[in-house]
Amino acid sequence: MQLLNWIFGTPANSSGSLAKDRMRTMLVHDRLELPAGRLEILQEELLAVVQRYFELDKETTQFDLQQYERRAALIANFRLLRSKC
Amino acid sequence: MSGRVIVITSGKGGVGKTTASANIGVALANTGASVALVDMDIGLRNLDILMGLENRVVYNLVDVVEERCKLRQALVKDKRMPTLSLLPAAQTRDKTAVNAEQMKKLCIELKNTFEFVIIDCPAGIESGFQNAIAGAEEAIVITTPEMSAVRDADRIIGLLEARKDEIEQYRLVINRIRPAMVKSSDMMSVDDVLEILSIKLLGVVPEDEEIIISTNKGEPVSGTDNTRSGLAFRNIARRLRGEDVPLMDLDAPNSTWISRLVKFFAPVARV
Repeated sequence: MQLLNWIFGTPANSSGSLAKDRMRTMLVHDRLELPAGRLEILQEELLAVVQRYFELDKETTQFDLQQYERRAALIANFRLLRSKC
Repeated sequence: MSGRVIVITSGKGGVGKTTASANIGVALANTGASVALVDMDIGLRNLDILMGLENRVVYNLVDVVEERCKLRQALVKDKRMPTLSLLPAAQTRDKTAVNAEQMKKLCIELKNTFEFVIIDCPAGIESGFQNAIAGAEEAIVITTPEMSAVRDADRIIGLLEARKDEIEQYRLVINRIRPAMVKSSDMMSVDDVLEILSIKLLGVVPEDEEIIISTNKGEPVSGTDNTRSGLAFRNIARRLRGEDVPLMDLDAPNSTWISRLVKFFAPVARV
């Protein structure tokens, strides 16, 4: 997509695409009635739990709320290095 | 007869609910259907103005509900189309004047007489909205490609979703789209809005100065042949009747022979 934008000269950081990105994040929070900051707390807690069992690569840990139809999905991606104990 | 009761709603004010109600009503009547337009924006009556019928209002919806008159006495016949009638809102009352039960009863009475009952819903998500959707089986959600309108539309869709038993289907109309701004990526596109809201599309209406002129005249654009917004609303009416009508090409200018000539020579001029 970015390549297409580049070829056809559509700026990737145009205000339209900025609006779309902001809308996506906002609506996922709206629909779940999710207060700001709550996700960050969950992320820390989840990380702590996984770290009890595994050593992991913190740099590549991903944590995302994505939209599927009108539902949200929580996508967490932990790169595991080795199990503990 | 059992007609279809369709509520036109948006959450946010000023996105074109009343304009859409008037135009879809006129366009449906133009296809030969009998149509009742119901103004549920009690206290902020406007549909009569858009229809050019403000001087003919005698009774209103609240008079009917409170049994000061018969339904047929309150219905105002359209000037041009005999199959189109308006049930005006009360101007001096507020949104608590009619409750959900009364609205359901009124809708049943209306759909016994009309093939389409189009309800113009007030802005907001409180009692006025809840009452307006009380008797409806279908909803049309209006938005513009602006963030605040899309967010409010999303809220409305959530509320409609929660009433799946009563509201069988709801579809989206994206109003006031500006093709040039979409092209330069400074406005969310139809696809962007659809992806964000995940809802079926009923139609797209381009921004059109003719709307302001038509409101001044009290003659909705969908009643005339030569406007892009009018064509968009007529397409919406045909889709409501089950026809498969493709979306209009938003890029096509409202072409006059001059604009066609300019377009023809434009590529040459740039070289």
